[in-house]
Amino acid sequence: MFAYVVRRILSTIPLLLVGTFIVFTLTAISGDPLSRLATADVGEEAYERIIELYGLDQPIPIRYVNWMSSAIQGDMGPAPSQGSQPTFNIVMDRAGNTARLAIPAFFFIAITAITLGVYSAVKQYSKLDYFVTGFSFLGISLPTFVFGLLLQVIFGLWFFDWFGVRPFYVLGMRTVASHGWLDMVRSHVLPIVTLWLVITASESRFQRAAMLEVINSDYIRTARAKGLPRRKVILKHGLRNALIPLVTIWAIDLGLLLGGSVVTETIFAWPGLGRLLLDGIFQQDLNLTMGVIMVVSLLVVAFNLLADLLYGVLDPRIRYE
Amino acid sequence: MSETPSGMSPEDVVDDAPPGSIAADVPSDAAVLAEREGMNITSRSFGRQTWDRFRRHRLALIAAIVLALLATAFIVGPWLSPYGFSERDVLNMRSGPTAEHPFGTDTIGRDLMVRTFLGGRFSLRIALIVALLTTLIGTVIGAIGGYFGGTVDTIVNQTINLFLIIPALVVLLVVGVRFAASPNSIAFLLAILLWPTIARVVRGLFLQYKEQEFVLAAKAAGARAPRIMFRHILPNTFGPIVVNATLLIGVAIILESTLSFLGVGVQPPTPTLGNLIEESKGQLDSKPSAVLIPGGFIVAITLCVNFLGDGLRDALDPTSRKG
Repeated sequence: MFAYVVRRILSTIPLLLVGTFIVFTLTAISGDPLSRLATADVGEEAYERIIELYGLDQPIPIRYVNWMSSAIQGDMGPAPSQGSQPTFNIVMDRAGNTARLAIPAFFFIAITAITLGVYSAVKQYSKLDYFVTGFSFLGISLPTFVFGLLLQVIFGLWFFDWFGVRPFYVLGMRTVASHGWLDMVRSHVLPIVTLWLVITASESRFQRAAMLEVINSDYIRTARAKGLPRRKVILKHGLRNALIPLVTIWAIDLGLLLGGSVVTETIFAWPGLGRLLLDGIFQQDLNLTMGVIMVVSLLVVAFNLLADLLYGVLDPRIRYE
Repeated sequence: MSETPSGMSPEDVVDDAPPGSIAADVPSDAAVLAEREGMNITSRSFGRQTWDRFRRHRLALIAAIVLALLATAFIVGPWLSPYGFSERDVLNMRSGPTAEHPFGTDTIGRDLMVRTFLGGRFSLRIALIVALLTTLIGTVIGAIGGYFGGTVDTIVNQTINLFLIIPALVVLLVVGVRFAASPNSIAFLLAILLWPTIARVVRGLFLQYKEQEFVLAAKAAGARAPRIMFRHILPNTFGPIVVNATLLIGVAIILESTLSFLGVGVQPPTPTLGNLIEESKGQLDSKPSAVLIPGGFIVAITLCVNFLGDGLRDALDPTSRKG
């Protein structure tokens, strides 16, 4: 198992390097970070200093190597668009904000996906099953930004006193608008619901398929035949096995959630990783863009690895050679 | 439509055994006899069987009809409308839905119904190009990787994994910020990022089929690799490819409108459904209809495409259905 983990990590590193290099090159050629200085008339000397500081006169591959070698030591350079604060600190700070949405969203997703999936599998072709199926089709077909805007119309316009889309609780700041913990909870609800719908729709569909496959298998019939109550068979024999594939999907989804959602965070003005990435790209801040992408890719890769390992732990038939 | 090599076509069941001996039992009712003997089974082509199965999937059928209606509206609608797509009605700026402007007007008084239909036309066109291009690239690369195996397959597989690590949205954003995008370039970009989804499916199928006897037979008959790949194996993978290509239309519409919404998709003045939402999201509180109508069209299209894909999966690939 340990050897497998090491080999998996080693085989991922080249992919990660090539991937980040491609993004680095695309970001570097996609804009001229000096263009704004040209209009600001900062003088020849400051111009040169900035070129020197960010190594802008060097070829892109060398800039990439320089960036990467300091990034693995935790130094991602200053972020010019954020008052030249260290990129690493900003990213970590924003990652915390994203986690405040991601972790509760994840728990709600897990609970509802299991419940809906199991119920609609056990009561296959019932009204409830059709309802859940319709719900997942709708959720899969609804783009995140349309759903987010719809929530804003409903709760910001028609029932505006419920969640208060406009009087935002600003994270980390005691503003006039904030009224303590209740405001904080209210500001979290709509973004969490947005994240919840899209992922729950596909996960409950998946759980339903997994559950159906298990329910129709021989060992479930055996358990029923020897006289165990239906409920016990479904929950103990059925669910425990049907959870195995879902757990791996959880790990992947949690990685994606913690990486931040660009769209959800943009719509609800949430200062998380997704927004930070968008800011970095729009402001042509190479250090910031790369910093976020690095953290997000690492999260995705790490949670994918976790998913594979969990699969082996939960299903002893799977062996890692 | 090609024949399946598995020999499951129903005409095999019908054989021309002499009916004489049994006909003596029930000479009066030939229909009952024919049924008992399985003589009334008419042969159905692969296409016919698919259609029969598809027809039974009521929702998919409705979805197909709705899609066709939407597409017709998008194409014909702007023609029939009294307003041009950039024509300004200065007396009715920023209006909500009224009798003259059923979808309202935008900030400078352009009729939103014409713009929504034109936007739908561009969104649908982009999505169709993406689905076609993606399927083409993905099928060829997946087929090559799956059929040849070895080093070629390792390269293909690692490339697929690479694309799974790089978040598609990031690349689209980075490229979109720099290069003002036309509908065709956005479609091209999306295809470059989405082909791994098809390639993975096709590669898996080719890995599975290349071990079968009919491939061996083709090889023995002297067929070369391209012929085996595209004449012998490819027709078997037709079902899953068509299903995935259909679902891609939905994915493409969502991605394209999301990009436009973030301001890096197709650039104005070309309207797409995402652009329309982006233009009106600032007036969400005064005129929500300007956001909800194009949003509703996006949802309607993707929903129909997903139902259609589900129906096609049942029709083209009946063994894949679980439970």
